[in-house]
Amino acid sequence: MAEAKKSDKSAVITEQVMLRYDYALGEVAGRFMAGLKDGKILATHCSKSGLTYLPPRSYCERSFEKCDGWVEAGLEGVIETSTIVVRGFEGKRKPPVAIAFVRLDGTDSAIGNYVDGLDLSDYEAAMKKIAPGKRVRVQFADAREGRITDFSFVCIE
Amino acid sequence: MSVYVLGVATHPASLSESRLRLEEMAYHTARAALDAAGVTRRQLDSLTLGACDELDGRPISSMLMSAPAGGYGTDEIKVTDSGASALCLAYARFLAGESQLGLVMSWCKSSKTDVETVMRLRGDPFYTRPLGIGAAIGDALFAQAIGEEFGVTENEATRRVVNAYARAARNPRGMAHPVPTAESVNAASFDALPLRSAQRAPLTDGAVALVLASDVFLNANPYCTPLAHVAGAGWASDSYRLDSARLRSMSSARTAWRTALQQAGLQSAADLDAVELESQTGYHEAAYVRAFGIEREEALSPSGGAFAQNPIFCTGLINAAEAVLQVAGQAGAVQRPNVRRAAAHGCHGYAQQGNVVIVFERAGGVQ
Amino acid sequence: MNETVAVLGTFQTEFKTHHPEHTFAEQAQLAAVGALQDAGMTPDDIDAIVFSLAPTYFMGVADADRWSIDYIFGAGKPMLRVHTGGATGGSAVQAGYNLVRSGLYRSVLIVGAERIAETPDAQNVLNLIFDVFYERDMPLSTNTTVGLWATRYLDRYGLTQEDMARVVVRARRNALKNPHAHLKGNVTVEDVMASRMISYPLKLFDICPRSSGSAAMIVGNMAMAKRFRSRPAFINGVASRTTTYWIGDRMTPSTDADFIDFDLAEAAARECYRIAGITDPLKQIQVTEFYDPYSIMTPVQLERLGFCASGMALRLERDGYWNVEDGAVAVNPSGGTLCTNPIAVTGLVRAIDAADQVMGKAGAMQVSNVRNALSSAVGGIAQFFNCTVFGAEPRSH
Repeated sequence: MAEAKKSDKSAVITEQVMLRYDYALGEVAGRFMAGLKDGKILATHCSKSGLTYLPPRSYCERSFEKCDGWVEAGLEGVIETSTIVVRGFEGKRKPPVAIAFVRLDGTDSAIGNYVDGLDLSDYEAAMKKIAPGKRVRVQFADAREGRITDFSFVCIE
Repeated sequence: MSVYVLGVATHPASLSESRLRLEEMAYHTARAALDAAGVTRRQLDSLTLGACDELDGRPISSMLMSAPAGGYGTDEIKVTDSGASALCLAYARFLAGESQLGLVMSWCKSSKTDVETVMRLRGDPFYTRPLGIGAAIGDALFAQAIGEEFGVTENEATRRVVNAYARAARNPRGMAHPVPTAESVNAASFDALPLRSAQRAPLTDGAVALVLASDVFLNANPYCTPLAHVAGAGWASDSYRLDSARLRSMSSARTAWRTALQQAGLQSAADLDAVELESQTGYHEAAYVRAFGIEREEALSPSGGAFAQNPIFCTGLINAAEAVLQVAGQAGAVQRPNVRRAAAHGCHGYAQQGNVVIVFERAGGVQ
Repeated sequence: MNETVAVLGTFQTEFKTHHPEHTFAEQAQLAAVGALQDAGMTPDDIDAIVFSLAPTYFMGVADADRWSIDYIFGAGKPMLRVHTGGATGGSAVQAGYNLVRSGLYRSVLIVGAERIAETPDAQNVLNLIFDVFYERDMPLSTNTTVGLWATRYLDRYGLTQEDMARVVVRARRNALKNPHAHLKGNVTVEDVMASRMISYPLKLFDICPRSSGSAAMIVGNMAMAKRFRSRPAFINGVASRTTTYWIGDRMTPSTDADFIDFDLAEAAARECYRIAGITDPLKQIQVTEFYDPYSIMTPVQLERLGFCASGMALRLERDGYWNVEDGAVAVNPSGGTLCTNPIAVTGLVRAIDAADQVMGKAGAMQVSNVRNALSSAVGGIAQFFNCTVFGAEPRSH
């Protein structure tokens, strides 16, 4: 559906495009999501490189071999980096929200998620609480649907 | 500077590869090509990808795709025209001395989205989009134009489709679609006149990777045995317009063909023992056969082409893999006897706006 | 083949949010015509085309390069389009360079256009580049991921938001001399600090604008250079590197491609410099035109590309070390990407700004005695990087 509109300076044709995609979960994402429902965070491990990955991968990018093991990640970890999103956008949580990439104990890569339980009225103070190096723990939602938002991070006091 | 193909791999063809994410398909195929070539990812100094964001469902698809395809600490570049176009750029990179061992990869999950919607999105918003022009209409206009130019009848187009399915049925790398009868093809409903749905190659999911090596690399690694020598590559794109003159002239196809053969030192199709055409319909095959002067039926698309598998964005690069296998004597049940030289063709855009032709010859040289 | 590759002509339009007076294809045409005129060439002198176009979701026409072909005099010619996200323009230059160097073509037109404001919010589109299962539920975008980058970089080196702000002050001031730049003006550190917070610690002024416009560069072999350009710039080195998508892999102790310190850029630069014969960047390179849509990115590139030690760039910024007038090297005299970001062609504009300096056609921005100029382009979340050295003399390699 397109209609031409006249504005003061020049004409515009407006169109909204709908493109639908079916994304296959693939070899590992399904198991990770199922693990979330069980209150677990599952990572994959490559015995050749010795690396343990979150989010889990089906193959190791370092060794270029298939990952050959599953590991339950610890439910605490360290913040590698963080930010407070002040200008967000549609379809996500209303800003301001805090995001952190956390390396959970027993893994070698950081996974991102929201940080809950922060007073975001003072950005500087909040950022100090989630500065690189601070430890956090995983908090699972009561109702889980097999989606990354089934858990979030909270600061360890 | 000479360029060789050291290994090829194609992903198992399917109508819908729902078990695997696109990244996983790419990893398996890249890994298979490297293993077939007897080299590791670490040895690569270039990666050339051919992929389409709109078909992949991401605005910068190579962000998630380049590492699975072997791009880790590597010089990587992506072209968007077609899988076969990626091979052209890679070829230029090698001739420029910029790479000694490289991977060329392309993929397409036709089942992932409505391909025709994506094709329609390629229409300019003012003159083309409102008419819903996409692949079906583009191919129909092409069929009409070359029908008039060359006197191609519906019966010929249908005969070619049936024969292509018959060849494809023997291809161990293809879908083994059932071979239709001419009657059933002629009775199928129209998608857009004169094209009937059954005259168009069905879409599939797939991926393909080729490992290229320079003569410098081969001299330093004598345990590596090349499958084929890349003798020439030509590509060109036509006007975006869909008028009769543009469609009938097949100018970019002729330019690509002429350029590739010239580089390979060849005079005509008679010098080629196999030509893998990208014929999305029977009309396409009828047109290319005449434009390229392919007279020997036995040289024509031994693999079955798009009727064997058709992950549409990379069908041309799959043709390249098939041509390499022919020259190397490794094409299996569809192998033609004594293939010294084989050409691969790919097309892309509305009504084959763009064309690619690549000529391969036996690695040891051809008498 | 190893042909020498020279820049024969360049052109860029004025960049602003909207160019309602042109369609996308007409926009591309302006650049093609401009570059041809600059080189004194006609379309028949162009053997092949490389089109620079990144995500088309911004302007809603897939493969808009196909639509543009007639407008850029390309019908019937060999044309390829490259797309490496933000690095696209740099990759396009690299592809054009390869085509000439291979000996297959004498000349290549590298051209592209951006109409980023044809969709209301670029960040909505940019959220879609992230992994659909693990990351799209979060408001990840280029703004937020670079926010993550900046947080860690400032923390690692004990630097502040005010330190970053000085980069913006210098960039906007430089852009006053750039007739093509989108944003320009005399802003102060206080202005930057007072601008709206977007994704901590990045504020509005730390972030590039969304620009529309077009650009083109013509490259050719030595025979073409002798015919068309009395003072060409020579592409003496170009290199690219790509790494994993997952930023979480690139910020932990086990990484071999640290995102915060942008190791990837150093790997590419090492090769580029080797080919171009650059052993002492500070002494041999007079101008840099970095790809820096965020204020944090120029300091990181200065460090990784050998102009100073890690963590030092923002400290040296305080001392005016990167000023055009009296600094040790003129950094982004054009104002850089902080002032102008037409995503599809930004990398090409970086290259054009660098090449123009060598060719002596940088106008009011001209630095004197430019022997070598460096441009860069970055794509994904610091995932794709390329850099190019343009020299006043050809260096055989």
